[in-house]
Amino acid sequence: MIDFEHVSKTYETHNSENVALEDISLHIDEGEFVWVLGHSGAGKSTFIKLMQMEERATGGTITINGQNLNKIKRKKVPFLRREMGVVFQDFRLIPTMTVYENVAFAMRVTNISTKHIKSRVPFALSLVGLEDKMDRLPDELSGGEQQRVAVARALVHGPKFIIADEPTGNLDPEMSMDIMQLFEAINKVGITVVVVTHEHQLVHKLAAKYHNRIITLAHGLVKSDTADPLVAEEYAQLAAERGYEDEEFV
Amino acid sequence: MRFSSFTYLVGQGLHNLKANRLMTLASMGVLTVCMLLIGAAFLLGANIDAMVAYIGDQNQTIVYMDLGASEEQLAAADAAIRSTAGVVEVSYVSPQEVLDRYADMLKDYTNLREAFEDDNPFNPNYVVVVDDPNHISDIAAQLRTIGGVEDVVAPVEMSRLFVTLQTAINYACYGIVAVLALVSMVVINNTIKITVFNRRKEINIMKLVGATNGFIRFPFFVEGVTSGLVSAALASGIICGAYYALTRWYEENPTNISQLFGGTLVPLQDVWYYLVIGFAALGFVLCGIGTATSIRKHLKV
Repeated sequence: MIDFEHVSKTYETHNSENVALEDISLHIDEGEFVWVLGHSGAGKSTFIKLMQMEERATGGTITINGQNLNKIKRKKVPFLRREMGVVFQDFRLIPTMTVYENVAFAMRVTNISTKHIKSRVPFALSLVGLEDKMDRLPDELSGGEQQRVAVARALVHGPKFIIADEPTGNLDPEMSMDIMQLFEAINKVGITVVVVTHEHQLVHKLAAKYHNRIITLAHGLVKSDTADPLVAEEYAQLAAERGYEDEEFV
Repeated sequence: MRFSSFTYLVGQGLHNLKANRLMTLASMGVLTVCMLLIGAAFLLGANIDAMVAYIGDQNQTIVYMDLGASEEQLAAADAAIRSTAGVVEVSYVSPQEVLDRYADMLKDYTNLREAFEDDNPFNPNYVVVVDDPNHISDIAAQLRTIGGVEDVVAPVEMSRLFVTLQTAINYACYGIVAVLALVSMVVINNTIKITVFNRRKEINIMKLVGATNGFIRFPFFVEGVTSGLVSAALASGIICGAYYALTRWYEENPTNISQLFGGTLVPLQDVWYYLVIGFAALGFVLCGIGTATSIRKHLKV
């Protein structure tokens, strides 16, 4: 489903180079639920941006659903994006559109008939428990509700996998738990879910309960991967050589 | 594209017009004013052009025949003049007619008719009007070669002056129109850029959920073209109404100077379609293309 092979990403500014990801290799299978943990600056955002093709890798190969992202033409990028659903930290709802229109929009761009949209959108909103707030504007909803709308939007066109970028970053702990459990429920119906976050306590609680895989990023490298214990040893060796301090989650 | 997508996108464009009504009004206002200025410059040019042409046309070339030219000679010369390229009007003035004219002019002082009854000193002549004052000296030279012609008096200097004047005025007006078009292009482009900048987040979200560039651009295009065409309609209405009123007023209030230039302005029915088509094209091109290009920067996600 999602394959990273020796992927690296370096941001070049006019007088310096900033390595965001360095030689990342990992494989996420269809139907998996994966948490990607890391401090700010560990490379989490870059990881997401590469999958969405907001950025292109400077080394290595990323394959999503059998498509090599290095070889995708600019014109085909929108079609790749339609195969996934993305949830952002800041919700990214269009403020001038109603809840219904925001969700419908993800279907409109795929050129689906209005009739089909009319049946799918209420269904997606009922999945997140917001069918009675379809005509509201995003500003009239709470943060948790707005994020639910974003989740409905990510789901509505029936994507093969969902990527969430710090989905609870703007929410209080109670709502965070709700949203994360919503992702677990989505995964139950067979959709691959990748949640990138720094909230390790929440992650460990849920991962233990649902037996999820956790990948930890640090210094642009994979620090640990519950699916592959060897990774942690490799990282420990490299970290010792380079003198990386082991940062604890706060 | 599906029909339902098309109607959705057109609807979005029109909805955006309403949602951004302040910006819409501002850009339509600016565009309308620019169009009015361009239209005014065009009408001014067209009228000065017509006035100069009118004065140019008043200058006639006169072909003087030999004093004793026979009937046959006159007939042959008449045919030769008429067949000269560029000659559009020929009228014969007999010596008797010339004598009559002068006799009438001086009738209070003397009786010319009696004095010259048997010995008319005037040459028979032809009054010739040419189609293009530019060619007046060439035509005059050709007319001189016709048998029996004694002299040709052509307002060569005068016509040259008018032709130069006309060309200069034309260039000046084209220049003004071009500068104004450029100014409105800059203003409109800026207005659109502000609109697009205000909605850059929206555009970014659209891109991230998988919208193609065309899909994002289309409502902006609809929005731009609509406000462009509305401005064109507004400007056309205002300028045609105002110009019609002006032409009426000009004809009803003749002055010495206006009489000198023919007494009328270029009628509205001869110019309105230039204005309407010009404005519509300007509105379409400026707003449509302007919108499409100014969002390009924000589409690179």
